[in-house]
Amino acid sequence: MPENDPIKRLLAAIAFANDQAAYKELFMLLHGRLKQFAYSILKSQEEAEELVSDLFIRVWEKRDQLTSIESPLFYFYTTAKNLAFNRLKQQKRQQNPSPEEWLVQLNSIYFDPEQLMMTEEMMRQIRQAINNLPPRCRIIFKLVKEDGLKYKEVAELLQLSVKTIEAQMAIALRRLGKCMHLEIKELNISTPATKKS
Amino acid sequence: MSQEQFWVLFSKKLSGEASAEEQAFLESMIQSHPEWQYAIQNLTDLWKSQPAEDTSAGEDALMLHLHRMNELNISLDGNYQETLTSAGSVKKFKRWYWAAAVLLVMAGLFSIRSLSGSSNPGDEVAGQLNEISTRPGSKSKVQLPDGSVVWLNAGSKLTYNKDFGIETREVMLTGEGFFDVTKNKGKPFIINTSSIKIKVLGTAFNVKAYPEDKQTETSLIRGSIEVTIRNRPNDKIILTPSEKLVVENDIAHLEKDSKKQEIRTGNIARTELPVINTLMSINKLKYNPVDSTVAEIQWVNNKLVFRDESFSELAVKMERWYNVEIDITDLRIGEERLNGIFESETIVQALEALKEFIPFQYEKNGSKIIIHR
Repeated sequence: MPENDPIKRLLAAIAFANDQAAYKELFMLLHGRLKQFAYSILKSQEEAEELVSDLFIRVWEKRDQLTSIESPLFYFYTTAKNLAFNRLKQQKRQQNPSPEEWLVQLNSIYFDPEQLMMTEEMMRQIRQAINNLPPRCRIIFKLVKEDGLKYKEVAELLQLSVKTIEAQMAIALRRLGKCMHLEIKELNISTPATKKS
Repeated sequence: MSQEQFWVLFSKKLSGEASAEEQAFLESMIQSHPEWQYAIQNLTDLWKSQPAEDTSAGEDALMLHLHRMNELNISLDGNYQETLTSAGSVKKFKRWYWAAAVLLVMAGLFSIRSLSGSSNPGDEVAGQLNEISTRPGSKSKVQLPDGSVVWLNAGSKLTYNKDFGIETREVMLTGEGFFDVTKNKGKPFIINTSSIKIKVLGTAFNVKAYPEDKQTETSLIRGSIEVTIRNRPNDKIILTPSEKLVVENDIAHLEKDSKKQEIRTGNIARTELPVINTLMSINKLKYNPVDSTVAEIQWVNNKLVFRDESFSELAVKMERWYNVEIDITDLRIGEERLNGIFESETIVQALEALKEFIPFQYEKNGSKIIIHR
């Protein structure tokens, strides 16, 4: 999962030293995820590939301005979303599709079975549970778990409330927990102050 | 606290969104429920488990990207030259995209370990043939003199003349191969199998022509190809992308009038089919809707994929894949339909996985496997 700090370091090297190696490293680090993200909106591998290329051209051209960004990851995903929506507009395709309409591929089904103490049957059920997450839940789960965005950022990117992100993440985890026979009954424990509402 | 709140808290903790107070609360709660431990541990491990990334795809994309920047006159040396005009470059990019797709295949999704192909450059004067073959259980990649790339699946053989590419591009295939053929309008690429002949200009497709199989399958990924069946050289069948031609092998060898005319079509109807004296059908390729991969060519990625196939059909594939002999003694078991993918599984793991779906027993004696009820 990518993190902002190493990305910030790379952006700084690109901006201040025209560091080509850092530029290439950044491309390698983010290419796969950004392409998948773009694909979910554009539904074309070829166009997604081109969009990522466009995005990285922009990174190079605007490198001086990118060093002050608080969350570069968030910047990359918002820019990718905007570029994708612009493309749809240019092609007179569906305008600004809502997250439910995106075609989201989840890499989480390719977990390493060696690392998990589970039966084959359980793993099969988990893959199935991940594959069957409802559309809105899928994109949220992907952006949080696989792409490393914060709840607040996902909320802004998808124009949803943070409460919705919390609720959807809870749905995803509850479904996975169910595969492991973890079903939480109503509990008689008082909630911490922060959770009271 | 409701169960929903538990899951909200727990997912916040995994995502690094929980406050210190929330974390402590969750911790104490989990500790007072030892029966949750196992699941909580597994969910945490699952959350941390990251799928291995395919860096070769990124490397190829990077190369294309840098090339594209170069074409747009954007220099990486720090001099601003021109801003991006995205629309103008689409055509060029498309071409490069396909080049990348080919490169990706070449870039070695396969380790050298699986390459057991032997090239015999000198069969002396008479034949002047080059032969590349793979043993059961191994695969191989071959680059032909014209730049075309062929992946040979297990237990297959590809032969071609020493003068390949000089006047014609013609090869003979036994077994299964995925072809990515370079474009050359002047010299069509021709593949001969025992039952069909395929003529192409530049395209990617899979041919499955094992002598022990009942059928020869040709699956087209892109471009177009022309197929003729051995006993009817005048009828040409044109395949368009995502179509698969299936020809019954024994029928293809019969004399032309000895069999009643019959055409089966798959789930797409084709009315413009030429009438051919053989059992054949054109079907749609088996796409996996989840990741839009094509089942027919997954073996190239080291995956044995089966979609709605009978256990006995799968057993034949497994024999080649694992270099084993599988004998299904119970007819009904052999007819069970299956879907799935084997990737890194050993033969025993694969059999154990199948047992979850079909009630059978097996005995394994070296490379011989007997399956019974």
